[in-house]
Amino acid sequence: MGHDLTIEPLGETIHVEDDQTILDACLRHGIWLPHACGHGLCGTCKVDVVDGEVDHADASPFALMDFERSDGKTLACTARLLDDVTIEAEIDEDPDQRRIAVADYAATVTAIEDLTHDVKGLRLTLDPGTTIDFQAGQYVNLTIPAVRGTRAFSIANPPQENGHVDLQIRRVPGGVGTGWVHDAVKVGDRVAFSGPYGRFFVRKSRGGPLLFLAGGTGVSSPRSMILDLSAEGYVAPMTLIHGVRTQADLYDRALFEELAAKHPNFRYVPALSAEPEESAWAGERGFVHEVAERVFERRFEGMTAYLCGPPPMIEASIGALMKGRLFERHIFTERFLTASDGAEKKSPVFRRI
Amino acid sequence: MAPKKLGLKQRYAHMTRGLDWETTYQPMDAVFPYDTFEGIKIKDWSAWEDPFRLTMDAYWKFQAEKERKLYAVLDAFAQNNGQTGVSDGRYVNVVKLFLTGISPEEYQAHRGFAFTGRHLRGAGPRVACQMQSLDELRHIQTQIHTISHYNKYFDGISEFPHMHDRVWYLSVPKSFFDDARTAGPFEFMIAIGFAFEYVLTNLLFVPFMSGAAYNGDMSTVTFGFSAQSDESRHMTLGIEVIKFLLEQHPDNLPIVQKWVDKWFWRGHRVLGLVAMMMDYMLPKKVMSWKEAWEIYFTEAGGSLFQDLARYGLKAPKYADVATADAEHISHQNWAVFYQYTHAAAFHTWMPDKEHLDWLSEKYPNTFDKYYRPRWEMWAEMEKQGKRFYNPSLPQLCQVCQIPMAYTEPGDPTKIAFRCSEVGGETYHFCSDGCKDIFDGEPEKYVQSWLPVHQIFQGACGGATIPDVLNYYRMNVGADNMDYVGSPDEKLWNEWHAGKAREAV
Repeated sequence: MGHDLTIEPLGETIHVEDDQTILDACLRHGIWLPHACGHGLCGTCKVDVVDGEVDHADASPFALMDFERSDGKTLACTARLLDDVTIEAEIDEDPDQRRIAVADYAATVTAIEDLTHDVKGLRLTLDPGTTIDFQAGQYVNLTIPAVRGTRAFSIANPPQENGHVDLQIRRVPGGVGTGWVHDAVKVGDRVAFSGPYGRFFVRKSRGGPLLFLAGGTGVSSPRSMILDLSAEGYVAPMTLIHGVRTQADLYDRALFEELAAKHPNFRYVPALSAEPEESAWAGERGFVHEVAERVFERRFEGMTAYLCGPPPMIEASIGALMKGRLFERHIFTERFLTASDGAEKKSPVFRRI
Repeated sequence: MAPKKLGLKQRYAHMTRGLDWETTYQPMDAVFPYDTFEGIKIKDWSAWEDPFRLTMDAYWKFQAEKERKLYAVLDAFAQNNGQTGVSDGRYVNVVKLFLTGISPEEYQAHRGFAFTGRHLRGAGPRVACQMQSLDELRHIQTQIHTISHYNKYFDGISEFPHMHDRVWYLSVPKSFFDDARTAGPFEFMIAIGFAFEYVLTNLLFVPFMSGAAYNGDMSTVTFGFSAQSDESRHMTLGIEVIKFLLEQHPDNLPIVQKWVDKWFWRGHRVLGLVAMMMDYMLPKKVMSWKEAWEIYFTEAGGSLFQDLARYGLKAPKYADVATADAEHISHQNWAVFYQYTHAAAFHTWMPDKEHLDWLSEKYPNTFDKYYRPRWEMWAEMEKQGKRFYNPSLPQLCQVCQIPMAYTEPGDPTKIAFRCSEVGGETYHFCSDGCKDIFDGEPEKYVQSWLPVHQIFQGACGGATIPDVLNYYRMNVGADNMDYVGSPDEKLWNEWHAGKAREAV
């Protein structure tokens, strides 16, 4: 059961369970709303109910006044949906965000490539006459019959190529979903996905130098972004640091090297964290954040950074960037939240990172 | 397509534009003379994000309705003689401690934020400080109104402003705020805005308000809710200010770290009064101080400082010592007040067996070993008519102004003493935390007005205890001494005898 909740000004719609609060649902979907006490006393999470009915539940009469209740306010941390609801919250509007409606797509697997020993590249080609509109960096939810559900994968191709989506999928040891992709999917298979989702996209209107930090298959979003920016003729410096374990785990190297040769403002830095010391690798060694600190001499002020990869890599990178004086306003991250992620204890110091 | 509706943030920006300007008749540095001497560097005041987006017009409307609601409850409480329905006559001593020890600090906070708002040159923090200043004024006013009803029946609160400036234990919270208010504007913001209103606020208000709720004191619960609805702004301001300072310039980090260390420790010492209240003074217990510390500091503070570590800020120095203290601080404070009950404006008592068992259960590591035997001995002495009073005056810590009764970290049988020498004089401290604070700014703390020193210097009405109590305006035999035998107890027993008669 449950109801749909649309959050303005984002225009995004999410599903909320019957006993779930608006705040909980939003945080679990990666939508940050201002909040503090979490149980209806302080009023920090006050939002406007533009449409639909909510139950204010335990909202304190001092934190949510009678006149506010009749003016259509509620507290996100206590309110439950009685209906499909639209709220307006104090979320900064992003001039670079395009509103693209999520749609269901049917596609055919037209290519499968072994990018490394455990990463496959899949091309899902849409039916003739169908195209997909998306912002570079967004993802799709691929329907996986083996788990009767979906898994999220970032789109690796740029939006200029709108007749297909390329996905880069690593086999998660013991993972049913990625196991299905690796073992069962064949060229010619029909697949279904929905999208595009996510707010991980380039804030192009800000201009200035860009830093992309990617771990493993987390490079797929930056790949799409960099190809898109290059195609549009972005002139400010762009750097991609792609971290993997060993040379055997590195892929798309030729593509990025070629791009760097063609676009002098683009710099490509592959980084290996577990390459045997005696190997012939002459490039950077170490974790992504360590390499970033070396390359930029611990000074990141003035850049905008896009981080995509496993949570420890993102956490370490945020730490390095902040020590180098790049703060939340200029750091964007992509991490796929699972149901348990909203439960981790976070202080209200940071909103997105 | 219809023109797009403005977002809340844009609407606010349009309503408040032009609040700030560069002065021309006078240089900005002359108009704002205090926001540079602390060494804090601000490169861009406009980077301050106003987290509230509340206009003064809306502010008045909200606060007016909060007041209407609160006073409706207070009137009902008074009309229904709510004071007779609290859990026990002892409970009122919690309210006394709050009104005498905490409420005057709301007024100090009001003055501090008014001053600080005036002296920060950014419009965003100025408006936030102005609103918080008004909030604090509202808080003290509603607290006085709430508690004035108790004053009709119970002793010890009628002279609270006079006592606040003189009485030995009230100098503990007073000196905390005096210290903050005589610092520069940025230190005040870290001290009160961040350390007090953000890191420690839940340890102050939740125990008092939950305590009131558990003990049938609806009027205090209601002012608690009313005040807490303002806290969202205060907490957000506290977070905003520390982020702002840390992001503005790398040179700010060591300064802010020093303030965080200092104000965490000072706050922890003041909260010892709350610890004692929770463990000893509430007839119906909410949770132990140790449990509250675990939830509100160890867990919540842990995630806070983990996030702030990204800025290079460390958890407060001595946070580990404070956590270890949570096993002892309430017991050691209650021991002090029990011994000096003749000089305190609220009543004390030895816990009964049920209460002792609760303490044994909540403090399995320490209570039976270090405190229960002492309480049992003192109870036995009471029975024999030899109730123990300490006739001497205690030595006070030069910084926190608490009697030197706390023990060494790791050895609860040995009193901790620290000292520093400045200008040929020796100054004494209860802990490494307080000594560090003194050593960081000795020229400030050598000036402390220490109640016991003042008595010995003849500044407090005379040399004997009756002289000093007279100077405190303590109504001897009513305001002070044990609950058992007090006019409060007599009145409470009469009410309940009356209720029992009606019930028959």
